[in-house]
Order: sequence, then structure tokens, then C-alpha cells
Amino acid sequence: MKSFSNKYMLLYALGLAAVVAVLLTLVATSLKPRQQKNQDAEKKQMILKTIGIETSREEAAELFEKNVRIPQKSNGEDDYYLFNGGVIIPLKGNGLWGPIGGYLALDSSFTVVGAVFTHESETPGLGAEIATDKFAQRFVGKQMASQPIVVRKNADHNSINEVDAISGSTMTCNGVSAMMTAAFEHYSHLRKEVNK
Amino acid sequence: MKRIDLIKNPLSKDNPITVQVLGICSCLAVTAQLKPAVVMALSVTVVVALSNLIISLMRNTIPPRIRIIVQLVVVSTLVILVNQILMAFVYDVSKQLSVYVGLIITNCIVMGRLEAFAMSHGPVDSLLDGIGNGLGYGIILVILGFVRELFGRGTLWGYPIFEKLGLYNIGYENNGFIIMAPMALILVGIIIWIQRRNCEKS
Repeated sequence: MKSFSNKYMLLYALGLAAVVAVLLTLVATSLKPRQQKNQDAEKKQMILKTIGIETSREEAAELFEKNVRIPQKSNGEDDYYLFNGGVIIPLKGNGLWGPIGGYLALDSSFTVVGAVFTHESETPGLGAEIATDKFAQRFVGKQMASQPIVVRKNADHNSINEVDAISGSTMTCNGVSAMMTAAFEHYSHLRKEVNK
Repeated sequence: MKRIDLIKNPLSKDNPITVQVLGICSCLAVTAQLKPAVVMALSVTVVVALSNLIISLMRNTIPPRIRIIVQLVVVSTLVILVNQILMAFVYDVSKQLSVYVGLIITNCIVMGRLEAFAMSHGPVDSLLDGIGNGLGYGIILVILGFVRELFGRGTLWGYPIFEKLGLYNIGYENNGFIIMAPMALILVGIIIWIQRRNCEKS
């Protein structure tokens, strides 16, 4: 095996780090606007989906303008949204490996009319299943009026606030429950507003 | 060694999972269903092939004492780069792939092949070796994904096959244990068993 001097080794490491850093920065900054556009469109697409409007990413912006209102008082970037008949609240929390989130559309009695969940790095086939329509459908008809929705195993299907968990993804499902509790508390003021 | 063997051997008698016992961790994690197993198999194949090629081109300039770090830097740069480009141009594919990015970088097969093959062979051989090992890994993943999704969930590629066959009506129930990681390990064990038996015979 060839031997290399310490100086060569140090310069090699520095050189490689510099090349990689420049390359990644260039790519990341030059592609940023395109990625941001995709993400924004996807967010609007998800919000529309909670109120039953399936659309492509290209058409999401236009339909969003028509169907969803951002309330005047809303201060944060990702606060709640209003639609004809209720309110859409964002959900944020932690799964097993990383952040999870979603949107919940609630009618005037705070009954769920639609839900969408997302995740960044949950295990494919297990925790990542929260992002499927099948899981989101389980929330429809449940109530957030007097207590938050709980995700648990052997859930009582007739209960107004219990949803069946996914086998093999207890930690992720606990995260969804925690997210519901947080949203329930954070948006308690909306219950009065929507009822007006 | 003939070049065709570089692709053929990892598929059976030099399989990265069942013979070299590399990449077990990710093969337990992503095979609960068939679809993620296939996506993971394809992404690992691309990454192993490309990183093998690049490291092979660089191999004479890399100081041995820092070679692992150099390999790691090349692999992670490659994966991040590919993910960034996918995110900008084919957003849907990148959504599918996003969870695998971390798993690919830490996949033992990638580092294992760089260290065992690319550091001492030419670029063309290394590229073929990468493709072969990626596919060999993929075969096992697909077998596991097929068995686990079919018997654990009664579906294939999300299609409810057992429900359509009416198996639930005659008392069949999904086996929840197959979805768990230990069952994947047991299945890998069974595949190794069958494979060793076949090798002894021939």
C-alpha cells in the first residue's frame, strides 16, 4: 500500500470537504425556489383534501383561493384556515423518528369532516402508514368538541373520540394522539368562534 | 473473474444479505410491504453502483488512513445530491424516497462494497459489482416484502388480495407477527437455510 504524508492527508481531507461543501451549497441554493414551490403547492393540496377536494399540485393554488380563507386575525404563517362550514387546523407533533403533522377539517360542531397526515421519516410500511387515506378516513365523524381524539389499539368504534391504531406503529400513533391533544388545547378558542 | 460473474454472483452464491450478511438492518425495516421494498432496492442499487464507480476512480489518490471517512463523504454527498434533484424536478418520487435517504447512507452494503471491491478494482468492474450487489440485495427484499405483506396484511402492492379471494369469510386472520421485525429476521434465516442446502447439493 502506498504511504502518504500527513500533509497530503490533511490537504486531501480539506480539499474534499471544500469541494463537497461548494457542490452541495450550489445545488441546494439553485434548486431551493423550485422545491419551495412544490412544498407550498403540496400544502395547499393537502388542505383542500381535508374538505374533500382532490386536485393536482398544479391546480391547487387556484382552488385554494376559491375554497379556503385565511382569517384576518391569523398571525402565524401556519395558523388555522376557514372554509365554508367550518375550520381547518394544522397539526404538529413528533413521531418515532422525526416530525409528523397534518390538517384536520372540522365542521361547526367540531366533528371531523376530513383529515390528512404527513411524516418526514417514519418507518415505511409501519409508522409511515399514517399518511395513507385509509388511516385518515378513520377520523371522519369523530369529535373534537369536548375531548381530543385518541389513537389506541382495540378502539371502540362507536366511541366519538377513539380511533384504531396501526399494528407495529405504537410510537407513531402515540405521536398522533399527542398532536390531537395539543391541537385541542391550542385551538379551544375556535370552538366559540365557529359556533357564532 | 469474468465480468458477467460480477453481476451474477451477488444474486445467489455471494448474496450481500444471505452470504455476506450486510444490510440486515434496512432489510428488516422496509420489508413490511412490497412497495417500499422495491423502492429501497432500486435506490440502493443506484447508490452502490455510482459510489463504487466514483471511489474506484479516486482509489489511487485516497490516503488509506482516512479512506473510510472519504468513502462516507462520497456516499452521503451522492445521496443528498440525488434527493435534492428529485425534490425539485420529480417531487412525488422524492416523497416516496425521503425516508430511505438516511437508510441508504448507513446501509452496510454500500460501505462494504466500497471497502471490499471498489478500493482495489477498476471503474468498469466496480460499476458492475455495484449493480450486481444492489440487485442481490433487492431480490431478498422483494421476497421478504412479498411474504410479509401477503400474510401480514392480506394485500399485495396495496391490493386486498385475500379479501377478494374471500379468505376472511372462511375464518382466516392476518398474522400480525409477520409485520414485526423479528419475523423478518426469521424469514431471512429460512432463506439462508434453503440457500445453503442448495449450495451443498450442487
